[in-house]
Amino acid sequence: MPKNPTLLGTVQDVQGATISIELSEDTITGLAFINGHGYRIGQVSSFVRIPIGYIDLFGIVSQVGASALPERLSLSESHGHRWMTVQLIGESYQRGEFKRGLSQFPTIGDTAHLVTEQDLARIYGRPDAPNFVKIGHLASAESIPALIDINKLLTRHSAIVGATGAGKSTTVAGLLLSLADKKKYPSARIIIIDIHGEYSSALNDHATVFRINPDINKNEEPLFVPYWAMTFDELLPITLGSLDDASRGALLEKIMSLKLATIASHPMSEISSNNLTVDTPIPFSLHKLWFDLHCLINATHTSAGSGQSADTMAFELDENGNPVQIGDAMKVIAPRFKPQNLASGAEKIYLSGSALNLRRPLESLASKLRDTRFDFLFRPGLWTPNIEGKTEEDLDSLLEKWFGGPQPITILDLSGVPIMILTNLVSVLLRIVYDSLFWGRNLSEGGRERPILIVLEEAHVYLGQNDTGPAAAVVKKFVKEGRKYGIGAMIVSQRPSEIDATILSQCGTIFSMRLSNPSDRAHVTGTVSDNLEGLFNSLPILRIGEAIIVGEAVHLPVRTIIDPPPANRRPDSCDPLVYDNSGPGGWNREKEKSDYTEMVTMWRKQQYRSPRLVDNAAEINRTDEVKE
Amino acid sequence: MNRIPVESSNIMSIGYDQVTQTLEVEFHKGRIYQYFDVPQAVYEEFICAGSKGAYLATQIKGYYRYARV
Repeated sequence: MPKNPTLLGTVQDVQGATISIELSEDTITGLAFINGHGYRIGQVSSFVRIPIGYIDLFGIVSQVGASALPERLSLSESHGHRWMTVQLIGESYQRGEFKRGLSQFPTIGDTAHLVTEQDLARIYGRPDAPNFVKIGHLASAESIPALIDINKLLTRHSAIVGATGAGKSTTVAGLLLSLADKKKYPSARIIIIDIHGEYSSALNDHATVFRINPDINKNEEPLFVPYWAMTFDELLPITLGSLDDASRGALLEKIMSLKLATIASHPMSEISSNNLTVDTPIPFSLHKLWFDLHCLINATHTSAGSGQSADTMAFELDENGNPVQIGDAMKVIAPRFKPQNLASGAEKIYLSGSALNLRRPLESLASKLRDTRFDFLFRPGLWTPNIEGKTEEDLDSLLEKWFGGPQPITILDLSGVPIMILTNLVSVLLRIVYDSLFWGRNLSEGGRERPILIVLEEAHVYLGQNDTGPAAAVVKKFVKEGRKYGIGAMIVSQRPSEIDATILSQCGTIFSMRLSNPSDRAHVTGTVSDNLEGLFNSLPILRIGEAIIVGEAVHLPVRTIIDPPPANRRPDSCDPLVYDNSGPGGWNREKEKSDYTEMVTMWRKQQYRSPRLVDNAAEINRTDEVKE
Repeated sequence: MNRIPVESSNIMSIGYDQVTQTLEVEFHKGRIYQYFDVPQAVYEEFICAGSKGAYLATQIKGYYRYARV
């Protein structure tokens, strides 16, 4: 038995922060017991301590075995000697606090020791500091909590990456639950952009869910994104598509005049005709815009060319001389006009003199205005402008619902959004968040005083590598400048290699779960500044729920087992069971009588809550009354 | 729907709505399902059965349609 049970070996080679240690002859390989705790010796990613006088240096084992032998020695040494390569990372005074960085280097012959739980507690443990939140424990020592600094986590942005099935969503849910601790952080605010609708069940009592087809039984709220809060460039691809310059100009002018009409009839103190731009978030009626432009282009008139006006429009008349259909802007019904007639003798009917090439785009707009799937945009509840551009509610109440609701977490569930506008919609949502927090940054509601965390789930869908799309542009702005205005982004993805490198490299903290794809791994390893590639070599063999956390929010790179939320609080992304013994489904049961009509009904209604489910809202209210 | 807690290895609680003949089952993993058109007699047998899991597996699974709540 060695005299000092923690002794591993001696330093033999120092190259900057990389050192080689030769294990001493009498070091037990395998298990060592110190103060009753068992330690595995020579584990990659475990720590070593090198005492030099009053200072302890700490390093992480990155390589063990014959190939860890310094190159020069490899010819002369037999394989009988045991070597370790260690990356130095920091130091501490014998009883003091751990700090990153080195003031001195070890030299040949210094002893290297095993790091015990007491040492680890010195490195990692500051459980009392209120800005640290516990998200799990070290993979190597269950008693040591893994703590992250929420100041750095938010303002320096973060990324959570991991292959499908590595426990990513569960980790995000667990992490967010610890951030949304109402006692510790009563003013926390977190917005999740959830494109698959996974998180509502996991975070239900900490979150307000906004969804396109809300489930009222679960207290979900309808998601509304008023189209008039968008900029002209955001509105165009969602409504009319790309236009030629002349049409674009005409449209811009038309929106401008509608917005001017709104502020003329309902004056606002902050906006006058002098400072109004087409991008100012002022309500106007898109239905009226469509109707007016439709008439401008499609109407026939009783006079030619320049003499045409609204009074000269030639509506088709019935036998009593009344118009057959004068149209209805709000119902998106086009008026009917008389056909062109230039025959001599009869009343002459001329085509519209407008040269705008807008007929097709207007038809596509009309079909979108009629499509109920777009109602969350074009008929956004209380924020729907009437024909005069007047809404019942202004944007303040919308922002208050998103940022200032009773729950710390707001889930914007985009699972029912038509896929063709998803990217545009994400960018609009993020831009609205950014703009409001940017301009309100000095207020108590603003981002500087009450920072916000934006979680971008499945980010590779809209932040592609070669994606110059609008969402990527906004997120770049977030990660580059959000820090100054209290906006933190958390990017969650299973395909980090598909995410724009600029965005990923701006993420100060990276939680990397199991990644087996080499290109994904290289992408993540490349964005990490620490000299810890050895640690990242273990990425393909991490267990489910295990993550390597590197970066600003942790003192040290740490391999952590993240506390999963309780079983009934896991995201919906849990894999369906093909063989299911405990639940009602699976392949291993008899097939009951089927009824596919219900499936079709739900498809048509774009709703996944079965209409046959017994509504228990009334029931719950009744029991509540009894309790009171 | 009010559910009655039951002793079982995989079922937490069971509820029944007579008007719509809907049986509601809460599993241990926190998921709640409603089985449709379940006769009251079946529900009564279910609630009295010695092994709820076995009764569910043999008498309910494969006979009645269901949906997740």
